[in-house]
Amino acid sequence: MSTAAPLEVMEPDTGTLGETVEETDAPWVVLVWNDPINLMSYVTLVLQRLFGYSKAEADKLMMQVHTEGKAAVSHGTRSEAERDVFRLHEHGLWATMQQD
Amino acid sequence: MGILDSVFEPPFKKRRSGRYSVNLSEDERQMIQNLVLDLRELLTTDSPMLQRLFPPPYGENEERNQGYSALAGSELVERKFSSLDCVSTTISAEDLSEEEVEAWMRSINDIRLVLGTVLNVSEDNEFEASDEAMQGMHNTYEYLGMLLERIVRALSV
Repeated sequence: MSTAAPLEVMEPDTGTLGETVEETDAPWVVLVWNDPINLMSYVTLVLQRLFGYSKAEADKLMMQVHTEGKAAVSHGTRSEAERDVFRLHEHGLWATMQQD
Repeated sequence: MGILDSVFEPPFKKRRSGRYSVNLSEDERQMIQNLVLDLRELLTTDSPMLQRLFPPPYGENEERNQGYSALAGSELVERKFSSLDCVSTTISAEDLSEEEVEAWMRSINDIRLVLGTVLNVSEDNEFEASDEAMQGMHNTYEYLGMLLERIVRALSV
């Protein structure tokens, strides 16, 4: 549901893992996907601890994952998204990232 | 709090000091230790049982997944080793710091992910054991789920 964002001056993507091909400056979004193994209470706690969400916010995102199959949990540059994905994987959540 | 808490001490409980008491039997500790050592060994392989521990971050973009894995993959394995080793060294402890409880939480969750993958757990079907070994594995999976629930509850206080 994003609309075209105004152009922003982005810092160079030097900290990014991976390739050197040209990047657009659209923000990246980190998604958490539903899986049948992770406990709902665990997903909520991890989202609270990693991103500082309140219990209510984290519960809402967890329920979105559970009922809709996925939820966006953070946004940022590509390297920020990779860092968040890493921390989610460290906690066993099924996270991916994509450009808005 | 559940009704049983008035009868049984919960397995993990936050103390006033901010540290956590651990109330598990010797058998439970031995079982957790064995599972931790099993996962530690499994992590040195490229077993398909580990697939849920390393989801491809870029979905179907194989080139980017491989680039990410080449740079971050070994660090992720190291973090998992570090959590597992923390559980191993504190396996007999009756008192843990919050960081140590979090390492227990991540390790138990990782073990559940592997067991759930092998058991092919799904939200739609009730689990049906094909043999005794699978039933035993499912009992362990359920037990770890209960334990994880109690850790989450203790950390949420």
